[in-house]
Parts: sequence; structure tokens; C-alpha cells
Amino acid sequence: MPLTVRDDARERILAGAYACVARYGLAKTTVDDVARLSGLSRATFYRYFPGGKDQLQREVVAWEVRRFFARLAEAVGPAPDLATMLVEGLLYAHRALIDHEVLQKVLQTEPELLLPLLSVEANRLLPLVAGFVEPYVARAPLLPGLEPDQAAGYLARMILSYIEAQGRWDLTDRSEVERLVRVELLGGIVTG
Amino acid sequence: MVVATAVNVDLGLAGPAVSPPAIRMVDATLRCIARWGVAKTTLDDVAREAGCSRATVYRLFPGGKDGLLDAVARTETERFFAGLAEHMAGAESLEELVVAGVGEAGRRLVGHPALRFLAACEPDALLPLLSFAQKDRVLGFASSWAEPWLRPWLGDHAGRAVEWIARLVLSYAACPADGIDLSDGESVRRLVTTFVLPGLARLAEDTSAPTSRGSQ
Repeated sequence: MPLTVRDDARERILAGAYACVARYGLAKTTVDDVARLSGLSRATFYRYFPGGKDQLQREVVAWEVRRFFARLAEAVGPAPDLATMLVEGLLYAHRALIDHEVLQKVLQTEPELLLPLLSVEANRLLPLVAGFVEPYVARAPLLPGLEPDQAAGYLARMILSYIEAQGRWDLTDRSEVERLVRVELLGGIVTG
Repeated sequence: MVVATAVNVDLGLAGPAVSPPAIRMVDATLRCIARWGVAKTTLDDVAREAGCSRATVYRLFPGGKDGLLDAVARTETERFFAGLAEHMAGAESLEELVVAGVGEAGRRLVGHPALRFLAACEPDALLPLLSFAQKDRVLGFASSWAEPWLRPWLGDHAGRAVEWIARLVLSYAACPADGIDLSDGESVRRLVTTFVLPGLARLAEDTSAPTSRGSQ
């Protein structure tokens, strides 16, 4: 389905907002900054974002979170099976988060502003990640009595948890990630 | 200011015990937070709730609100783990132990009046203590507390097992969904028997070396 003109404009505004956040941070990115960058009047801007700065902050976070997971999905999409997909996914996501300059900067300088916005997204992310994982789960040899959607829900939670904080693991080390996937993630999911 | 407060509280993971008179202030503070949250709770509110003078509060907490919140975090953390220990003490099987621990953790997290207020109305006070780098610290602390409990059942794999179980608890407490309610015993038993126990069995079979950062 092709983007409508309005959707396309919205995308451009959010891209502009993201560029402002990268430069000035979340709190200091104003409606005026973004409107000016997008070549819009304030009035036009408020037609797209009637909730003003609050709505803009919520949506620019959601925008970049969606793009992050789209990049992740593209990187692991070709994986032939569930275990490979999980290993490649964790390796990629861990690295991508560390290398994400805007995220790291905002986490450092404005965590109390970013984290509530991120956690709202996290609640939406769970079903999104579970949905991505489910086709791989459906093709895997599941333990008896386990439904694919249950397994996918559990894996989505674990994936998000390990991406956010590696804990005792070194998620740059492929052999450690393989062990983590085989035991903690898939130990209660697949046979063998 | 909320930002400085949240960062300074730091979950109080290691520090001196809180004296009994101070505990009265801590409990009064918890009642205030459950009503109004962290930012809007003043030392005057705490004094009034505790039935003492402002001067008494300042004498017990020369560090002001930050010092008080630090004591609140430390006291609640201690109470939390003491509660877990009480419920886990009689367990006669690994399943009983994990169900008891996760169940009690779930009940305490979900049912805690101050936590409920903060989670619903003031997430910016709570989330910086539980996200990203802070999550690493929470996991590390919970792991080192719980590890001796699982050691008799899992030996050297106990540390790995407890971090994993702690992650599950944090995830389901933060985003209840999938029909799993951590405050409900049946739900917890289902969760543990479906996802945790088979994995623990697999863990016990894993003969590879511990993780490179495992000693942290």
C-alpha cells in the first residue's frame, strides 16, 4: 500500500525531529526547531502533532525504535532456523545498541525523559518481536505441550531483556551467545 | 529534584543498616509515596505522617530527601530479600524452591503500594533505576543474593540460573501479559514448569565453562 501524501510528510517531519534530537537532545528539541527544519509553519506542524512537543517526543522515540527493529529484522531475516536467527539477532542487536550514538547520548544526559518513553514502546515491542519470531518457532521441533505463540512470547521477552542489558554475558562473543541461545532461550522450547 | 534523586538513590545496594527510629520515617515515606509519588513527597509530609517534628526528620537524615530515599531503597531491598528467604526456606525440590521464590517476588513487586503508584504515575522516578546499565546492576545484585540458594541443586550453574530467573521476574513484573500474573500462584507455577524447569535441566547438562563475566 503506497504511503499517502500525509504519511510521507509525517515521516519527513519525524526524520527532521530525529536529526534535531541527535544535535540538541530530547528536551531541547522544540516544535519551532522541527517545524523550521521541515519547512512548515507552526500551524501546519500542529495539524500533524496536535499534542505538541509531548506528542513529538513520544513519536520520534517510537519512530527510531521501529527503524532499529526493522534494521534488525533485515539483518537476521535470511536465517535458516530459529537458533541461528536468535544467535545472529542477539549479536547484531547488542552491537547496534552500543554503536547507537543518539541512544547512548540521550541515555547519558536525559535518562529520566527517555526511559518512560522507551518503556511505553517496549510494551508494544513485545508483540512485535513475538510476531517476528513466531514463523521460526512454528518450524522448530517444540517440546510437547508447548504452543508456538507461548514460545514466541517467552522468546520475545528474553530477547528484549538480553538486548537491554547483557548481565553476566559477553554478547560480543559468538560462542557465549550460542550457549545462551541453546540453554536459557531454547532449553525450555525445543527438543534435543 | 527528581533527576538527581533518582540517580542518587542508586538502589542503595550496599550501605549501612537503617536504624529503628529511621525505619519509622522510611515507612512514613513509603505511605506518602504510595499516595503522591516521589517528586511531590516533602520532608514535611514525612514528618506529619510519622507524627514527629521536621527537626527530627532532619536530625535522622542530614542528607535530606536524597538520604531519606536512599534509606527507603535499602530498607525495602532488605525486606524484599528477607521475604524471599522466608518463603524459600522450606523447599524440598528445585521446583518448589523456584516457584516459592518467583511467587513471593511477584507478589511483592506487583502488590507494593509505592511501586504501584510509581509504575502507574511517575515512571521517570522508577525506570532509571531498572534500565540498561542499572538493569545490569540489579541483575548482578539479585544473582549474588540468590546464587547460594540454587547452588545445592545446580552447583556451578547456579549463578547463570538465577540471572535468568531474575530476568523473567523483571520482565513479567514490568509488562504483565501472556496470561501470566506474577501475583497468582497458579500462574507462577505454570510459568516455572513450562519455561524454567526444562531449561534448568538443560543447564545442568551444559558442561562448558562459565561465562567470561560470570564472576562479576
